[in-house]
Amino acid sequence: MTECSVAGEKLVLLAERVAYWPAKGALFVADFHLGKAASFRSAGIPLPSGTTTENVERLGRAIDKTGANRVVFLGDFLHSAQGRAASTFARFGAWRESRRSLELTIVRGNHDKKAGDPPEAWGVRCIEAGEALGPFILNHEPGASRGGYALAGHIHPAVRLSASGEKSLRLPCFWFGARYGVLPAFGAFTGNAEVLPRRGDQVFVIAEQEVLQVA
Amino acid sequence: MKRDFPQALHRLESWFAANGWQALDFQREVWRAYLDGESGLVHSATGSGKTLAAALGPLAEWMEEGQGETAPALRVLWITPMRALAGDTVLSIDRAVKGLGLPWTVGLRTGDTSSAERARQARKLPSVLVTTPESLSLMLSNGNAREKLSDLRLVVVDEWHELLGNKRGVMTELGIARLRAWNPALRTWGLSATLGNIDEALERLIPRIKPGSDPALTPVCPWSVPGLSPERRVVRGVSDKKVRMDTLIPPEVDKFPWAGHLGLVMLDHVIEAIESSRSTLVFTNVRSQAEIWYQGILEARPEWAGLIGLHHGSLDTDVRKWVENGLKEGKLKAVVATSSLDLGVDFSPVERVLQIGSPKGVARLLQRAGRSGHAPGQESRVTCVPSHALEFVEAAAARRAAMAGRIESRTPVDRPLDLLTQHLVTIAAGEGFDEEEMKAEVRSTCAFRDLSDAEWSWALDFVTRGGDALKAYPDYHKVVRDEDGRYRVKDAAIAKRHRMSIGTIVSDAAVNICYMRGKRLGNVEESFIARLSHGDNFIFAGQVLQFLRVENMTAYVKPGKPGSALIPRWDGGKCPLSSEVSDGIRELLELHVEGRENEPEMKAVARLLRLQNSWSKVPKRHEMLVEQTQTREGHHIFFYPFEGRQVHMGLSALLAYRISRAKAQTFGLAFTDYGFELISRDRYEMIPLMKAGLFSTDNLLEDMLASLNAAELSKRQFREIARVAGLVFQGYPGQPKTNRQVQATSGLIYEVFARWDPANPLLGQAEREVLERQLEFSRLSEGLRRMAKTPVLLRQTHKPSPFAFPIMVSRFREKLTSEKLADRVKRMQLEYDDASDVTPSQDGIQLDLL
Repeated sequence: MTECSVAGEKLVLLAERVAYWPAKGALFVADFHLGKAASFRSAGIPLPSGTTTENVERLGRAIDKTGANRVVFLGDFLHSAQGRAASTFARFGAWRESRRSLELTIVRGNHDKKAGDPPEAWGVRCIEAGEALGPFILNHEPGASRGGYALAGHIHPAVRLSASGEKSLRLPCFWFGARYGVLPAFGAFTGNAEVLPRRGDQVFVIAEQEVLQVA
Repeated sequence: MKRDFPQALHRLESWFAANGWQALDFQREVWRAYLDGESGLVHSATGSGKTLAAALGPLAEWMEEGQGETAPALRVLWITPMRALAGDTVLSIDRAVKGLGLPWTVGLRTGDTSSAERARQARKLPSVLVTTPESLSLMLSNGNAREKLSDLRLVVVDEWHELLGNKRGVMTELGIARLRAWNPALRTWGLSATLGNIDEALERLIPRIKPGSDPALTPVCPWSVPGLSPERRVVRGVSDKKVRMDTLIPPEVDKFPWAGHLGLVMLDHVIEAIESSRSTLVFTNVRSQAEIWYQGILEARPEWAGLIGLHHGSLDTDVRKWVENGLKEGKLKAVVATSSLDLGVDFSPVERVLQIGSPKGVARLLQRAGRSGHAPGQESRVTCVPSHALEFVEAAAARRAAMAGRIESRTPVDRPLDLLTQHLVTIAAGEGFDEEEMKAEVRSTCAFRDLSDAEWSWALDFVTRGGDALKAYPDYHKVVRDEDGRYRVKDAAIAKRHRMSIGTIVSDAAVNICYMRGKRLGNVEESFIARLSHGDNFIFAGQVLQFLRVENMTAYVKPGKPGSALIPRWDGGKCPLSSEVSDGIRELLELHVEGRENEPEMKAVARLLRLQNSWSKVPKRHEMLVEQTQTREGHHIFFYPFEGRQVHMGLSALLAYRISRAKAQTFGLAFTDYGFELISRDRYEMIPLMKAGLFSTDNLLEDMLASLNAAELSKRQFREIARVAGLVFQGYPGQPKTNRQVQATSGLIYEVFARWDPANPLLGQAEREVLERQLEFSRLSEGLRRMAKTPVLLRQTHKPSPFAFPIMVSRFREKLTSEKLADRVKRMQLEYDDASDVTPSQDGIQLDLL
């Protein structure tokens, strides 16, 4: 766990690919992509099972480590309409049942808009981007927002690190700029895309079990 | 049953005579054999009349059968590896058809065929169809394929040697097996360049049944039962075509560099050579070299503008056509080309071929030589143009091997399960299949004759259940078992996506290069684009471009700033020295040491070799030279196995791994075709290391996999497998993004499998392909065995020897480290967005993954 200061607030960054805000007991999770493997299967691409189980176990671990009482999904909680497979939903539903007191919020992202909201029984509050939470604006797509410091996901950020004469490394990252911050994609079956931070940005990479500040 | 066809054969001969030609003995042999119902393989130099040997038999058969005035439906399927060759084949066959006054139609079907032509072919196929392995596969994915191919008499596989060593060859085998199952009397003829393993090439194309095979095969594959097997033969084409091979040897060899391959040291001599011939083909190994030589020649001889041409794969089709026509008509003095001109129509005016830089292999050099000397009574002539000193030795070695007939083999691919799963879906999308029949049909190919029941079941489960029998996914229904027990693809969207992916699978996908405003410049391999980051400059078609982003298989660029720009490198440049050539090099060095050199190239470099001998040593054939030296970089250990770059990459990682096992250490590795080096901070004593088994072949496989970051290599190899097995779907330029939610990179899919289904046979296949194809594992273990038992000449040199120098400046470098990831991160620097002050940083982001 690595601490940092964003918009005057303390955030704790975890190698589980989540950011924790101790002041409100809130865990921020971007790009969960529930049902992604299932939607590949329904298109005839045979992927092994295990990604959903890993996702909920890792999320559970992050909650236990931090003692968070609420989780805010910063968009793309569900992957697609084809991914609403019974077994996948049963797995997440059972996990939700075991953590009934947890408050769950989903900021609807571009994928959620096509995939639809999760089942009512899960008791999740679904909101549009732009809602404020303390100094933060809860978003999905990166960009500056009026009225606060925006938190987003969507681009699955990674950065490239290099040293002369060595093979460079590409690692998923947390990327906090002057007006908005972008979280790494949480989902076990999500890729990433390289971004080029600017000088002055705070960047933390996930190197196996550690979160390391590189800028 | 032997029949006589005197009349028809006579007509063929008269048509030849009317054109002022004389049929060759091997052509007559192939016609007769075909008419007698035989199959076979013709091997011969390029441009020696193989097309007419294979094409005229069916015409004679038709004439003899006296079948009238209208064109028959498909009789001859002509499979060619290259679309570029297809057009010329059509012309050549069509000329024969017209010349013989037959009503036959000759058509073309490749990825480029227009939809109007496709529609015409959907109504009725031409009598002769020239196509590619991918297009054959596509035909088989249509429900009415059996009916449309019912009167097929002959399948010709052109340039079989080009297909033999890769998965497209296996695709061809599977396709032909299907055609034979429909039509047991089908004849198959292969046309090939000369190969080291011509018998294996025959067996692959026209397999015999494996002794002791299941007799249950009989009803399905009667052709593969002893006694019912087709008669087959190997026909040797024109063999007495003279090839003259020599080397350009400048008078001032002593000033020749030991390394570097882009230099134009030999420019004046090359120009002289061009001047002395009517028309010359100048071959280079990589595209960047072709651009450099073309520019160099033009600068030296500006008056040749319009008389010389440049030909390589990234150039626009129109430009290439212009160059090809210029060559054909004898209007061009010289053309600088890459492997894009290795195959293709004959350019009779070409008198001489120049090979710039390493010839790499004997077959390749002969193939290129064969592009010259087509005018009557002329010989083929190829001249090697070394670009550094050791290439003189290499040129001599290649010539000696060619003269002795030591030509490389092409190793066929064994049991590629990715291709099997693809083929199952293809046939399921077509007329569907019965499990037992299909299994027997697949096993009737050479590629899958050792397919185990477990592998078969896995492949069938993979396409029907999405995993093994224990894990069934209710949402997965790619191939389903119908009520009648046959396996079919029922979902039209799945069938469509599958058909679209057949064409793009085997080679590295091509990415279009476009300006932001839309002008298309050409295309490059995806693997090159994958290495670029936003803002990187690279040279393409003679211009500096700046990479912006990739979207929909199109790389967007803007004009770049000259300076340090990358040059795309292509497979040709990656091709390592063949073992035939490397063996020849060791032999020539020994002859030098013994003072028995008589090749002109060896005399030219004799003084340089003596220098090596006085600083260090020139190894004899069965000696292993190891040099140690110290520079500012650290302690170097040089090894010279002369086994080719791939093997050296593997060996360097292996030895570094074995040394660093005792103590954590970071090694720099560098390698060339001749040798490799390890650089480290500490000095190592070689003798104790060798005594402790540095060169041991014990645990070789485990050590190799551990040393090479095998996961990283397998992940790269998995790109092709994922494409073939239908795990990634890339879409096409200009196509709507309907499949976005099921797009993922092969790297991501690899990670998912490696983590949640590590026993998946496709991962095992990736590892096997890395070992066999990338690292040439069998050659590597052979090399190591040799190193272990040959005397080692250990030399301490006060500075790098002449042999060591090319390795030190090699552009192939890697690092092997046992440090933790977090420790590496701490040493590294973040790459910032300093380049673009105009573009906001997020504009460069590639959003394809989301």
